[in-house]
Amino acid sequence: MFKFALWFFLLAILVISPFIGAVSLNLGDILNADTLARNIFFELRLPRVLFAFAAGSILALSGLLFQTLFRNALMTPYTLGISSGAVLGAGIALKLGLGTLFFGVAAISIFGFLGALFTVFLLLYLAQFLRSGHHESLLLLGIALSLFYTAALMVVFYLGSAMQNDVLIRFTMGSLSIIGWQTPLLLAFVAFMLFVGIYLYRFELQLLSISEHQAQLKGINTKRVTLILLLLSSLGIGILVSISGPIGFVGLIVPHIVAKIYPQTINKRILKTALFGGFFLVFCDTLTRGLQTQSELPIGIVTALIGGPFFIYLIISKGKK
Amino acid sequence: MIELKELQCAFNGRVILENVSLKIDSHISVLGANGSGKSTLAKAICDLVAFSGTVFIAGKKTQEYTLNERAKLLSYIPAKLEIHDPYISVEEFVLLGRFAHKKSLFDYSDKDKNITLQTLEFLNIVHLKENPVSSLSSGEQQLVLIAQALTQQSKIIIFDEPTANLDPHNAKIIAQHIKGLKEWHQIILITHDLHLACYVDSPVVFIKDKTAAFYEKEFFDDARLEELYGVAFESLAVKYV
Repeated sequence: MFKFALWFFLLAILVISPFIGAVSLNLGDILNADTLARNIFFELRLPRVLFAFAAGSILALSGLLFQTLFRNALMTPYTLGISSGAVLGAGIALKLGLGTLFFGVAAISIFGFLGALFTVFLLLYLAQFLRSGHHESLLLLGIALSLFYTAALMVVFYLGSAMQNDVLIRFTMGSLSIIGWQTPLLLAFVAFMLFVGIYLYRFELQLLSISEHQAQLKGINTKRVTLILLLLSSLGIGILVSISGPIGFVGLIVPHIVAKIYPQTINKRILKTALFGGFFLVFCDTLTRGLQTQSELPIGIVTALIGGPFFIYLIISKGKK
Repeated sequence: MIELKELQCAFNGRVILENVSLKIDSHISVLGANGSGKSTLAKAICDLVAFSGTVFIAGKKTQEYTLNERAKLLSYIPAKLEIHDPYISVEEFVLLGRFAHKKSLFDYSDKDKNITLQTLEFLNIVHLKENPVSSLSSGEQQLVLIAQALTQQSKIIIFDEPTANLDPHNAKIIAQHIKGLKEWHQIILITHDLHLACYVDSPVVFIKDKTAAFYEKEFFDDARLEELYGVAFESLAVKYV
């Protein structure tokens, strides 16, 4: 009953969400052709809801993936510095004023992806020097990398002009403002591919969530599977971050909430995590638009305000055990 | 079926096994003091630790098998269950033993699921099938690990200290199962538990001073045990019967 009510509530938000924002819309205006309301609804609000949903799914799925592969509840692309790597990459592209590079893909997306990818390889390389199973040290490495990237971004910031800096600051706070359908459709495709990739490897993930040795002894090439899944997830995170900027904590909290509501083995939680992540970010985005602040609150701030306390709660409740 | 040639293992610069050559054609129990390298020997056979020398399984070097092929030949049961999925049920966990047998990217077949249920019935734990593995007692967890190894249907099963965390009652149950399994599998038993080794009654490989000595029979003799362990025994009076 609780579960039913919850999904109903989330679905209701999805339906209501496009009507909420700086300009309130009602159904009558939208159905009239050639009105401003109709344009706002179909060219701004609806694409934005799709964008938020796809972004939430990518973040939640990546969080689930990282937590499973590294067998640690605090592992996400955000806590491991992979998002920060993508932000730095995108920041450099912004600073260099690069436009479109290859096949119509924006340079900022490519740089964002490269930043994420570079960080994954750096972490995998550094992880060799850690004693196996010491994933807490990997987390510390991620935090060190994050701080380093932030400092490097500051350097880019000081080298930039006021105009560039304004864009950059807005970018680092995370934003879901987009116009038109092209970006949301691209991101929805990326989210779908990430879901399919993880779903195909669901049984491998189930074994990897037990222990690396056991997975190997049951016939899994653990290194190869881990690498494929990390690359897939970095691709998703890199593309997402290069468009929206970093959106923290979604990858951390959503998999945990889903596991609390559905205490099931990992491969039964993949679809639920993807959907719940989507709904959650649409909910947060609806909040940013509904709060009627002077200018719109960046989405990254809302997720951090919700996620920060939750993060602390997680660490404390883990300590209790 | 297993042959070790000049096996040498070092860990953090310390040599643990040196120049071990052994032919293991049948069941064996591997005994030895703490830190003597019993578990390392097992892990070398499973290719889980770095070693020099050669390990042959069924005439072929271990590294020449694909991981999938090797899983069908060899299963390893650790002393303690390590599990990071707190929600996986007993049935789901035991089914994972079928991984090497299922078509990659496809779901487990009905046959796999039937084998799982039969194995749970065989080990008398079918009533636990819905329970999360993480909520079980150590004795039950050991049975679940054995069930998983059995669904793997490998010729060789390696037990690494199966009774280390168990009370005498549960240890006896495990001992009976191990002895029974000798009929269908080649059992390599690594243990400190002299009662268990005595009850399972396989030839003994004793590891001391980095090398292995083979005892076909008459290992469980008070004088010999005293010589090997450096502790006086008043016979293994408390034996499982």
